[in-house]
Amino acid sequence: MNRRQSPLFWIVLVLIAIVALFPYAWIVQTSFKARTDILTSPPVWVFKPSWFNYTNMLFERGFETYLWNSIVIGLSSTLLALFVGTLAAYAFSRYRIPAGNHLFFYILATRLGPPVAYALPMYFLFSRLGLLQSHLGVIVAHTAFNLVLVVWMMKTFFDEIPSEVEEAARLDGCSEWLLFSKISLPLALPGLVTAAIFIFIFSWNELLFAMVLSAGTASTLPAMIPSLAMHTGTLWGEVAAAAVVQTVPVIVFTFIAQRHLISGLTFGAVKG
Amino acid sequence: MVICIAPVILFLVLVTLVPLVIALTDSLKNLSLTDILQNGEFIGLDNFRTALASGSGIYNSLWLTLVFVAVVVPVELVLGIAVAVFLNRQFRSRRFWITILLIPTMIAPVVVGMIWRFMLMPSFGVATSFFNSVGLFQSVPVLSDSTTALLALMIVDIWEWFPFMMLFALAGLFSMPQEPIEAAYIDGASRWQIFRHIELPLLRPMIILSVMFRAIDASKTFDIVHVLTGGGPGTSTELISVFAYRTSFVSWDLGIGAAICLIIAFVSLLIAALFYKIVSRETGASAR
Repeated sequence: MNRRQSPLFWIVLVLIAIVALFPYAWIVQTSFKARTDILTSPPVWVFKPSWFNYTNMLFERGFETYLWNSIVIGLSSTLLALFVGTLAAYAFSRYRIPAGNHLFFYILATRLGPPVAYALPMYFLFSRLGLLQSHLGVIVAHTAFNLVLVVWMMKTFFDEIPSEVEEAARLDGCSEWLLFSKISLPLALPGLVTAAIFIFIFSWNELLFAMVLSAGTASTLPAMIPSLAMHTGTLWGEVAAAAVVQTVPVIVFTFIAQRHLISGLTFGAVKG
Repeated sequence: MVICIAPVILFLVLVTLVPLVIALTDSLKNLSLTDILQNGEFIGLDNFRTALASGSGIYNSLWLTLVFVAVVVPVELVLGIAVAVFLNRQFRSRRFWITILLIPTMIAPVVVGMIWRFMLMPSFGVATSFFNSVGLFQSVPVLSDSTTALLALMIVDIWEWFPFMMLFALAGLFSMPQEPIEAAYIDGASRWQIFRHIELPLLRPMIILSVMFRAIDASKTFDIVHVLTGGGPGTSTELISVFAYRTSFVSWDLGIGAAICLIIAFVSLLIAALFYKIVSRETGASAR
């Protein structure tokens, strides 16, 4: 097929990209503006760039605490969900589970209900368990809600491994555990990496539980950014800088996982 | 193999069943912020009566949510398919462009909300200055009027999620058999006829799936509303998630909040069952 397209095609494509990217580009640009340039009306397009917002956010607003919380919660819930979810996905893929279909539906259903319906009861539960204001509460919540993705996605990947491979290993006297750890898991490694990326992004971007369960002390970046809107006026420069720092890893990961965006965005329910 | 599945079940019970049981017991009590840890007075179904009383905000919220979903999902679908059909050809670094277009969907919804709030700020917002220069919203800021605030939320949601629909349509178009399309071209069919009579029918399973996913997700919209309008002005943009959040964590009517959580969980379970039925009938992608 012809790979050369007409100039008109490229013009339209660039227009679509501008619509999709302008708001984000505007906040990136704002993050390098001085406060007076941000609050100018009408907005200025040309200005002297500065790092002020980044340095001020880092050193004056306790930003590194929230960044640290985000990293700890994101990585912990990712590892936990991967470990727990992969085992279950393997079992669902290889063995007949009693009432397996019903269990599978139950696992999906947890992701379909609005998180806010669970937020208040979880708030009660965690306050009784003393898990509020700690990383652990948010980690547990994020892990649980991301398990769906791991189970669905990893089951698809395990299903795709040809059964001959495992039968051959069995004939050679390979134990079930060795079979899982030395053969099936390495074969499903691309799936594991993809699932990890998406779980991390979901945890990294999640607002409601991070806000309700962390109660300030274990707040992640998404919970911290709106708090920069204060009664005395929003610190838009800092908001912009925080937004850029928060989104850059997401965009990098999106490019890394670009081949698996559909299955990631549908919690593994759709392949693509 | 029960050992492998047990931890998953344990986790999900911990975050769904246990909270729902707690919500059930708490919804029967007279609870306020001052006694979370004490047992409130048992008041039977009073909280449900309050939550479902004729003056309650729940009906307004359910209606707004329905309108919101009914507007944004079809618009996102049409836009998504249109862009996907446009991109469905060979060109240099196609995957790069597709990924670029997905940035609105991938970045945190709370950041999306903040970006648009900034752009819609009175006087120095770039969107405001654009609107004012063409003579729109000069007297009342967009987010301060109940109609335009809801409209703004819809546009933000459409901006955020049309790439998601585009991604689905692209997956459908890429995996489409090329023979019928080429045959139709040879027979002299127009581009529109091919789309209308070949591509669109073949996209049906993907369309159903994407609409399902998007509709369920849109009905849960919380982050962008929380950041952009907080449900206001008044209750004009108070979607159901925001209503539940406000009842529990702003007004601290915890008993009523628990009752509302149960009502929402029940409704979404019904929708989930329906969803499961339709998806397993339309595609082989669901569980077994």
